[in-house]
Amino acid sequence: MRNRTSPPLVATVLLVALWLVAGHPLVAQSQVDSLLDGSSLEDLWVHLNARDWEDLHTHYQDNTYYPADVEWRGTRVRNAAIRVRGNASRNDHKPSFRLDFNRYVTGQTFFGLDALSLDSSWLDPSMITNRLSMLLFRQMGIAAPRVAHVRLFAGASREYVGVYAATEEVTPSFLRSRFGEDTGYLYEFNHLENDNWGFQDPGPRLGWYVPRFSPKTHEFESVANLYMPIRDLVQRINDAPQSDLESHLNGYLDVNAFITQLAIQNFVAQTDGLVGAVGTNNFYLYRFAGKTLSVVIPWDQGNAFGSFGNGLFGPPPWWNVETNVLALKIWNEPKYRARYLAALLQIADLVSADGWLLAEAQRDYQQIRDAVYADAFAPYPPSQFEQAHVSIQQYIRMRPDEVRQFVASLTQ
Amino acid sequence: MAVMLWAGAAPALAQVKLTFDKRPSIQVGNLLTAGIRFKSQLDFTEFPDEPDTPSKALVDLHRTRLGVEGRLMKAFEYQLEGELGDSAQPWRDIYIQTRPFRDLQVRAGQFKIPFSLDQLTSGMDLDFNYRSLAAAFLAPGRDVGVVVFGRVMSETVRFQAGVFKHGGDNVRESERTDAQADRTYAGRLVVRPWFAFDNLFRTFSAGAAFTSGVLPAGPNGVRGKTIPGDAFFQHLFVNGHRQRIGGEFQWRPGPVGLQAEYIRVRDQRFGQGIDNQDLPNAYARGWYVTGTWVLTGELKRDSVEPARPFLRGGVGAIEIGARVERLAAWSPGVNDGSFSSPRAPWVMPRADDVWTGGVNWYWNYYVKLQANVIREQRREDGRVIAGQGDLWSETFRVQFGF
Repeated sequence: MRNRTSPPLVATVLLVALWLVAGHPLVAQSQVDSLLDGSSLEDLWVHLNARDWEDLHTHYQDNTYYPADVEWRGTRVRNAAIRVRGNASRNDHKPSFRLDFNRYVTGQTFFGLDALSLDSSWLDPSMITNRLSMLLFRQMGIAAPRVAHVRLFAGASREYVGVYAATEEVTPSFLRSRFGEDTGYLYEFNHLENDNWGFQDPGPRLGWYVPRFSPKTHEFESVANLYMPIRDLVQRINDAPQSDLESHLNGYLDVNAFITQLAIQNFVAQTDGLVGAVGTNNFYLYRFAGKTLSVVIPWDQGNAFGSFGNGLFGPPPWWNVETNVLALKIWNEPKYRARYLAALLQIADLVSADGWLLAEAQRDYQQIRDAVYADAFAPYPPSQFEQAHVSIQQYIRMRPDEVRQFVASLTQ
Repeated sequence: MAVMLWAGAAPALAQVKLTFDKRPSIQVGNLLTAGIRFKSQLDFTEFPDEPDTPSKALVDLHRTRLGVEGRLMKAFEYQLEGELGDSAQPWRDIYIQTRPFRDLQVRAGQFKIPFSLDQLTSGMDLDFNYRSLAAAFLAPGRDVGVVVFGRVMSETVRFQAGVFKHGGDNVRESERTDAQADRTYAGRLVVRPWFAFDNLFRTFSAGAAFTSGVLPAGPNGVRGKTIPGDAFFQHLFVNGHRQRIGGEFQWRPGPVGLQAEYIRVRDQRFGQGIDNQDLPNAYARGWYVTGTWVLTGELKRDSVEPARPFLRGGVGAIEIGARVERLAAWSPGVNDGSFSSPRAPWVMPRADDVWTGGVNWYWNYYVKLQANVIREQRREDGRVIAGQGDLWSETFRVQFGF
């Protein structure tokens, strides 16, 4: 008698195979790629109780989490948590949110993401400066979060609450995807008011670091375990002779990567970054597992591409380097300054070579324009949105030559 | 009241009498008596290391209370008590009571809502270092209200019934400063059927109690914590009414003490779903069974007083005890995997099973030393949670009070 596989068995095997494939991390990764690659304006629906939605606005200064389900392309991830996020941009009109997918369910992810930031771009009429900056970081080989725009819907009635920039948060899932590990020590830097710190050595007290570096992994470890390595890094930066930064920081910080980040932030006129107007700001620090080596991860570049004044599109290369110990050493040492200037030229070439960044800016504009016009909670009128995009596109056209001229004047 | 005090003050001041009978007291004629009360407990603890929780203090000044109690113009009794270690909300008991009829008393002020034998037992008179989890987290605790109470049928039946402004301060840490539950009614009835007889069962008592209160919408579900004090089940979003029922039993034949209690809390959750839908009620349940034995032979009382105090020719009183207890929370319904959010329709059953063994050494009226060994086993959906099946804590308490 011939063996025959019955149709129900075949169907079952296929279904199981489909289920296994659908649940595979690589499949989840490719799905979330289509949310964060910016190729289309996706719709995201946050289901949450009406009272919680009201409370999120009433108590927008609090970091209270509320339970929520998150739906995208018909898939509903349950037991997520949502809270208001942001510092200077916190508001009750169109607050930014943080979605945490494993707060209530250990290990749960949203197609591979532990958390997702929904940025209302409160301080950015164009809504695209953070996305363009992060694109540039990644293009230059720096591990940086992905950003894409979404139309956000909220509540049981699926109310349209505006355009948001969905940003991949710097979490263990981010670390795994970029560095292949997540068991090291991750910190978010908190800028304190009137504290224009730029890696200056504050002395031996570990307590100084506690309010400035919030641990995002190993949260309950001792202060000594958490902060002695950061103190060591800061002391090394301060002790390192500017003529030989690399050997003194070898195993602690990648000087070339730092130079690249410095150059990108200078190029895009990020005035609230490594050499910001109020000291060093907007970064995460990750120390690899079992090592002393740390990496700086950029965060929230939302005020880049701004008008710099004095007839300039962006700042000169030496702008504010004196505010950061490491940046100043790099600037003062000819061989590191040369690398910094070379990085600036590389960025200028990258941006202007085939109009890549301009194309991204124009595509973003087209993608979100109608949704922004329909956004009843948009913090800026359409005219300001339009003007901001005109300015950014002009910046991208003009900034490469401006940078080249600066560099030329310094190397002649 | 002020006029009456003023009228009686002048002659009474001439009759001020200070005494020290176990505690300092003052008597001002027939106007006022005031006895000073002091309670302190210093704990030394060793709790298990648990993932994702901060390490616990090894030494804890658990209680430092100062109070005064007495009579006012014979007709009234009063008590004031404050916690010195709680600068934000120091007041604990503040009440005045009177006896308008022989078998009926009325108390008004802030005091414990009459529910749960273990919760109503003074913290200085506990058989173990900690109250049962059921009494600590499911009983309502203190609130502002009025209660009538008394004893009838030759003290065979004791009753308490009251109405309170809110729902007690046990439900949330912040309940004292930001009360959420609204008006709550409570009643408790305890029967001692053999109280009038001089036999072994004279101290036997059994009782039942209830509370019923309004529960505004919000994250105001009852909390549950483990012995080390970590959240075991979190506040669910609730809306509607909260009802508690409780049963209790106590028997103290000679030096032996037996005690048990059962408490169940039901919280309604109208409109609390993610999509504003009604959710199944949330339940929490706790019970314990306790046995103690005063090895040195003294009668078991709330506070055992040694027949031969330590350092005064005797060893004091030594008591051993054991307690088995469980604290659990759940909601009925179908397991749809949505257990872990505070608005989850189905809340996965969680339970903390605790075994406590202890030795109490009463030096004298003032000093008691308590040592406990505690084992916990925590379960989720009936299964022991990985790494939480065999958790041991050791606690030692030095208690001084009068």
